[in-house]
Amino acid sequence: MRKTETAVVKRSLPSWIRSSNFKLQALLLLVILITVFARVLPLEMQKRIVNEAIRFGEIQLLFLYCGLYLAAVVIATGLKYLISALQNLIGERALADMRKALYHHILTLPLNFFRKTQPGLVISSLITELASAGNFVGMSIGVPVASILTLLAFAGYLIWLNPLLAGISLSIYPMVLILLPRLQQQANKANKRRVDTTRTLSGKIGEAISGVHEIHGNGSYRIENRRYDRMVDKLYKIRIVWNLYKFSVKSVNNFFNNLSPFLIFIVGGYLSIKGRLDLGALVAFISAQEKIYDPWKELIAFYQVYQDASVRYTRTMEYFDELPEHTLEPDDREPYELEGSIEVKDLSFQVEGGIQLLDGINLSLTPGEQLALVGFSGSGKSTLAQCVGQLYKYTGGHVLLGGEEVTDLSKKDMIHNIGFVSQTPFTFEGTIKDNILYSCAAKLGSDEISESDAMPSLDDMIEALQQTGIFVDVLRFGLNTILVYDEHQDLAAKIVRVRDHFKREFGEELADYVEFFAEDNYLYHSTIAANLIFGSPNIESFTLQNLAVNDYFLRFLDKADLTRPLLTLGAELCRQTVDILGDLPPEKVFFEQSPITADELGEYKILAVRLAKTKLHRLSPDDRTALLRLALRFVPGRHKMVGMPSILEELILEGRALFKENISKDNPGALTFYQASEYIYSQTILDNIFFGKTKIINPQAEEKIDQSIIQVLIEEDLLETIVEIGMEFQVGSKGDRLSGGQRQKLAIARVFLKAPRVLIMDEATSALDNKSQARIQSLLDTRWKGQSTLIAVVHRLDIIKKYDKIAVMKAGRIGEVGPYDDLIAKKGMLYELIYGKKASS
Amino acid sequence: MNSSMEKRRAADTSEFQENLKILRQMDFFSALSIQALKVFAYLFNREMFKSGDYLFHQDDNDGIAFYILSGTAEVVRKDESGEFSLGKYGEGEFLGGLVLLGDMRRLFSLKAVTDMSCLVMTREKFIKAIEQFPELIPKVLETMVDRIRSWEERLLIDQDALCDSCRKKVGVSLV
Repeated sequence: MRKTETAVVKRSLPSWIRSSNFKLQALLLLVILITVFARVLPLEMQKRIVNEAIRFGEIQLLFLYCGLYLAAVVIATGLKYLISALQNLIGERALADMRKALYHHILTLPLNFFRKTQPGLVISSLITELASAGNFVGMSIGVPVASILTLLAFAGYLIWLNPLLAGISLSIYPMVLILLPRLQQQANKANKRRVDTTRTLSGKIGEAISGVHEIHGNGSYRIENRRYDRMVDKLYKIRIVWNLYKFSVKSVNNFFNNLSPFLIFIVGGYLSIKGRLDLGALVAFISAQEKIYDPWKELIAFYQVYQDASVRYTRTMEYFDELPEHTLEPDDREPYELEGSIEVKDLSFQVEGGIQLLDGINLSLTPGEQLALVGFSGSGKSTLAQCVGQLYKYTGGHVLLGGEEVTDLSKKDMIHNIGFVSQTPFTFEGTIKDNILYSCAAKLGSDEISESDAMPSLDDMIEALQQTGIFVDVLRFGLNTILVYDEHQDLAAKIVRVRDHFKREFGEELADYVEFFAEDNYLYHSTIAANLIFGSPNIESFTLQNLAVNDYFLRFLDKADLTRPLLTLGAELCRQTVDILGDLPPEKVFFEQSPITADELGEYKILAVRLAKTKLHRLSPDDRTALLRLALRFVPGRHKMVGMPSILEELILEGRALFKENISKDNPGALTFYQASEYIYSQTILDNIFFGKTKIINPQAEEKIDQSIIQVLIEEDLLETIVEIGMEFQVGSKGDRLSGGQRQKLAIARVFLKAPRVLIMDEATSALDNKSQARIQSLLDTRWKGQSTLIAVVHRLDIIKKYDKIAVMKAGRIGEVGPYDDLIAKKGMLYELIYGKKASS
Repeated sequence: MNSSMEKRRAADTSEFQENLKILRQMDFFSALSIQALKVFAYLFNREMFKSGDYLFHQDDNDGIAFYILSGTAEVVRKDESGEFSLGKYGEGEFLGGLVLLGDMRRLFSLKAVTDMSCLVMTREKFIKAIEQFPELIPKVLETMVDRIRSWEERLLIDQDALCDSCRKKVGVSLV
């Protein structure tokens, strides 16, 4: 935590040069000194080759000088590369340090800061704007030193060659030095405006993308486009001005540099004609004079990078120059273990513009007491909970947690004693397990979520899953996993055993919900391909995706008289699906029951157009493959746009027998046939237990299936194993593979596992169905009562009866506090909230 | 049985086409264009319920609408005084146009009293689909308003059946 001593936002750009690796910088300097020498040497050689070797016909000297010349060039090139490499290393390190330090700082900024700051802006600051600063730090020592030294060396060499000519050719540089900074200043001004506009623009993009459902919902594309376009146009103008100034810096520089040979030609030519200058010297002078341009150009470029970087850097750091409201960790002590009492005295919270969100709040809770905060939306109940949880810094009064003032506590003290479940809990990319261990890992202060004695055990985790009612969901994730042959052979063998058990006990009962694999029946809930090969592929060429281009399989289709009927079916599927889904956006709801995926739709749309004009037998081989592929993945039970012709069913059943006969002879290892004694590695665990596929998916069917599966798994002692596999389920970015309810349950499980002394739940069950909500409430009423002090912001008023106290809030104040029955008897605000205004009057 | 039914259908027409035929006769969907109807016919799913199964539970916010293809369901409400039946729905009835339009916690449960077969549509699907045809939203709302109005009109015409205090509380169409 030493870094926080000088806040990153207060650091100047040059301070990063000082903090970069000293050894690397020293090495860089050394290399540069050698390079400068290696760059001047060829010039001298050049002169000597002309003046000594050629002039006096000395072959040996020619070889010697040329050799030296070559060596110098090779060394200079090598060193130049080394310099770039070192610069790159230093620069990238500095950039990485800056990015880390700034990110660490940004995460600690108060929530208020993020109310006005769009994620897009933070992203562009961290990714784009800092890049040039890193670039600058890399160049900061090498480039100016190298350029200036080279410049001086060349200048010295020029003076040594001919002081007069040197004086003339160097006279232009003072003029450049006067003009350039003025132009650069203008460029900087434009650059500042560009940084600001880019920031607003990325904020705008961030806003539009995160609110895209609202834009779709309102069809407000035009409004949003107009706003965005306006900003882009503004940026466009600023960028043009900025670039014009940048170019003008370059042009002025070029002009003066090109002016100097002109002066040399005039003066040097004159002197040479008059015989006061030998030709070799003039040649050497001209090439030296040309070379002086390189370091100068580098110097100017460096100057521009410096200017650009410092503008961007300062602008960025200024923006994030705010302080965290609370210290992160206590300096000289372990975090407090606080008692769970909460004392709120005369609390007020005011936000910008003098708006009083909370006003004169008084509350008192003994350890283990439970309080429900109710009231109209906007009454301040969430704000109060957030002030107690240190998410907002209150502006007046006191909140005492176990006797300590909350404002003075560090974040670490808070997370050691409080568990907070927010209204819109956040789920992070990773597994279910990562997410339920998130709070515990943060409390332990470990960077990574790892196994350790202090972490909850598997049993603890399973208990938390059960308490929050997400156990069955996780079990489902486990059951829907496809096992890998190399890793799970033992488990697979056990599941085959479960299969028998399941069939004995539930086979008949669940026959309406599950379609069992049976060699003589057509499977309406499996693909045509699976119906034909009736097994799981062991080699790549027999997977569903590859069958349509598998020559052996194609020959088999011909032999079984299936090619034409399947093509016809494929064509029908293509036509119907394109007709229904052709103009719809690629959303999951539309494509769940379609044989064509959202990605393929474009391709099949074109094919559908061709189908309307062309007979099947005239289609190109590629088109036929596409149609065949479609037909092979047709599942009549799921893809309802086309009916399954019964004659095709018969043909396929016959084909299945023929295929088995053939492949057993030709390539017996290619497939493992579905049989009750073998695990099927291409299917999920659930389908393996069933030895079949689920037919109907509705809540009743699912419940019955779940119950029976759980019973069998318990009896076979496999329930925990499967749940453990389910906990490895990847929840996706922001948990987008979970439902809103599942995310909320995970967030609650996360906090339950931590078992904090104080529990703050901000409408934590609002996205849950009735049953789950009731289950969690009864858990709070029994298991946590007396254990943890609870402040619950509650929207639904039918679950608050068992709370010790209920506080009714209105316009930032507490209207009344007391036990449920007292408040109802009083016929005051709570009564009015529950029974309506009319009833109470 | 289930599979025998599928087989029968397999021979002539697809489930999608059957759904389309049904939708065209439902007044809730009758105002839609044929392209929109196709999408809805595609999105409607067939589900079976056994006698005793619940189609939805009181207080749940399930967001599912049902069209009854066959069988009978009973509306049941539970409160402190116990459980009582509020009436029955049968073949050809569409329950839940309103539930598709917005969040709603169920005021009662719907329980299958015979084996049932239904077409079901979830709110999520409906909203996503109707977004694709924004020009149809006013028509759907109009249909809904009309349904509510005529529902109350029927209630008023059968006034005799109403108790006195109930009569004072009519006015759904004034909401």
